[in-house]
Amino acid sequence: MVPYLLIAPVVIYYSIFWLFPVLNAIIESFRNVDGIWTVSNYIHIFKDPVFYQALSNTAFIVIFSVTIEFILAFGLALLINTKFRGSSMFLFLAMIPMSLPAVAVGAMWSSGLATRGWLNSFLMTFGFIDDASKILFLAGGKMSTMLLIIIIDAWTVIPFVMIILLAGLQGIGEDVREAGAIFGGTKFQILRKITIPMLKPTITTAMILRIISAIQIWLIIVLLYGFNRLPVLLEQVVLNYDQLGAEYFERIGLALSVLVAIIVSAAAVLYLKVSGSFEKEVKQDE
Amino acid sequence: MATLELIDIAKRFTKKVWGVKKMDLKVEDKEFIVLLGPSGCGKTTTMRMVAGLEEVTRGTILLDGKDITDIPPRDRGISMVFQNYAIWPHMTVYENIAFSLKLKKMSAAEIKERVEETAAMVKIGELLKRLPGQLSGGQQQRVALARALAVRPKLFLMDEPLSNLDAKLRVTMRTELKAIHQQTNATSIFVTHDQSEAMSMADRIVIMKDGEIVQIGTPDDVYFRSANMFVAGFIGTPPSNFFNVECEYTKENISLKHSHFTLEIDSMKFQELGKYRGKEIVLGVRPEDLLIVPESKAVFTAEVLVVEPQGSHQVVAINLKEIIVKMVVSAETKVKPGDKIGLGFNIKRIHFFDSKTENRIVFKGGV
Repeated sequence: MVPYLLIAPVVIYYSIFWLFPVLNAIIESFRNVDGIWTVSNYIHIFKDPVFYQALSNTAFIVIFSVTIEFILAFGLALLINTKFRGSSMFLFLAMIPMSLPAVAVGAMWSSGLATRGWLNSFLMTFGFIDDASKILFLAGGKMSTMLLIIIIDAWTVIPFVMIILLAGLQGIGEDVREAGAIFGGTKFQILRKITIPMLKPTITTAMILRIISAIQIWLIIVLLYGFNRLPVLLEQVVLNYDQLGAEYFERIGLALSVLVAIIVSAAAVLYLKVSGSFEKEVKQDE
Repeated sequence: MATLELIDIAKRFTKKVWGVKKMDLKVEDKEFIVLLGPSGCGKTTTMRMVAGLEEVTRGTILLDGKDITDIPPRDRGISMVFQNYAIWPHMTVYENIAFSLKLKKMSAAEIKERVEETAAMVKIGELLKRLPGQLSGGQQQRVALARALAVRPKLFLMDEPLSNLDAKLRVTMRTELKAIHQQTNATSIFVTHDQSEAMSMADRIVIMKDGEIVQIGTPDDVYFRSANMFVAGFIGTPPSNFFNVECEYTKENISLKHSHFTLEIDSMKFQELGKYRGKEIVLGVRPEDLLIVPESKAVFTAEVLVVEPQGSHQVVAINLKEIIVKMVVSAETKVKPGDKIGLGFNIKRIHFFDSKTENRIVFKGGV
C-alpha cells in the first residue's frame, strides 16, 4: 500500500495535466465541428499533399541532422576527453549554443542570414565578397533551405549530444582502453572494439533523445522562413491548430499531433530494435 | 624470454613533481622482480613507463637489448595485469582472452587452442562463454591473468593484481602466480605495497621510496641486510625495532647506552663502530631477535603492554615510555599484559644504523 501512496501525487498530477489533455485531444481529433464521430480529419490530412511534403522534409532533416550531430559531437567528446591543455575552456565555449533559447537562436541566425544581415557584412568587411555579390542565404531552393536548417539545428544541439557522450566516456575507466593498447590495439581499433561498444547505452540514450526532438523541429524553421515555406510535421500542427483560426483546422491540428506522437514513438521503438537494445535486456533477464 | 634494462629513467609530472627521480635496474631473463614501496613511491609509474602507457621524461628502456623507449605499447612484446582487472565487460571471457590473438591475425584454430590452454592453466576453462559481469572478483582476476598469459609475452607486468581480492584468496593466488611463473618462466615485474607479498614471490625485490630505489636484493638481503632504516622499518611483520643508543668505547667492550638499558658488545666483532665513539647511533632489532630470558641474564626488564596471538606465534608489545617495542615469541610462551619480563638480544642478528644518514653500518666480520 505504501508504495502506491508514495507515487500517488505523481499519478494524480499526470492524470490532470497530461493524461486528460492527451485523451481529450485524441477524442476531439475523431469528431467534427458538429461533434459527430468521424475520421474525416484524418482523411483530410492523408489527402493533403503538404502532409507528405512535411513528412519527407522531417524525415530528411531527422536523418541528416542526427547523423551529423552524432558524428561531430562524438568527435568533440573524444577530443575533450583527452584532457588536453585548455580542454575545460574549450568545453565551456562549446556549450554556449546550448544555453541559448530557440527563439534567440532563430533571431540570431535570421538576422545573420538576411541579405543585409551580419554574416554578409562580416564577409564584406573582410573582403571575401562585395556589395554586388551578397549571398542570398535564405532565398535558395528547397535543398539549400533544408541544409541551412540542418546546419543551424546541428550548431544548437551538438553541445547537448556532446555532453551526454562525454559523461558516458568519462564513466569508462581509462584502464580498459590502456589494456586495449597493451594487447595490440591501434587507436582506431580501441575506439571501434572497446570504447564504442562500452559506450553503447549512452549512445542509445543520446540518439533517442535527439531523434525525438529532431522530429519535433519547427520553431527555428518558422523564425527563418515563416509558415508553409518548408513544411515539417510540427510546424503544420502549429499552423493548423493555432494560426488558421477556424475550428475545422484546429481539429486537423489535433489529428496531426496524434499522428506526430505515433511517429515519434514508432521511431524510438524502431531505433531501439535496430540498435539491439532490446535484445540485451532480454539476455540479462535470463 | 627476455632481459629488461632501465637506464637512468625518470618521470616528471609537473614542474616540481617527479614520479620517478632516477632509476637504474637490470632484470635478468626469467627473473621475478617485485617493485615494493609505500604509495606514491613511483613503483606503478615505473611499470607504466615500461609498458609504454606513460612517456619517459628521461632515460632509456631496453628489452632484450632493443631500445623500446619510444615505441607504442602494442609493439613492445609485453603484457600486463591491471589492478582493477580492466577486462572488457562487453566481451565474453573467450573474447577477452582472444582479443590480442585476433589482432595478431592468428588462425581461428590456433586461437581456440591457445585460449583453451591458457584458460585451463588459470582454472577458468568452464567460464569461457560467460560475460565478466557474471563472474566473481577472483574469477575476473583469473580472466585478466589468462588474457595476459595468452600473448606469451617477453615481459609480464603485474600492477598490484591481488590488492582487490580478499585476504584468503590473495594468499592462494600468490602461490598460483608463483607456480605459473615457474611453469612459463616469463620475465616478470610485479608491483605491490604489501611487503609479505613481495617477500613470498620475488626473486629480487626493488624497494622504492620517493621516486628512487632504496635497495635491490633477494628477500633475504632486504630482510637480514636492510640497507637503511627505511627498509628495516618497512620489511617484516612487525617491522624492526629501533633504539637510539650512545656508543661508548672501552678497551674490551663497546657499551651501548639507552635510556632503559646498557648493552655490552664485543669490540673486536664490531670494530667499525670505532668512529662512532661517543656518538649516538641506532640499534635495529627484528621482533624475533628480542628474546625473553630469565631476569638474571636479562639486559633489561619491562612490562608487557599487549599480547596479539597469531596462532603459529604471538606478537608481544612492550611499552618503553617513548616507544612501543614489538617482539615475536612462540605460541607456547605464557605471557599476559602487565607481566614483568626479562629481555635479551640475539647479538648475532642485531643491526646498526648511522643516526644521521640512516644507512646501515656494515661490518667486515659479517652480520
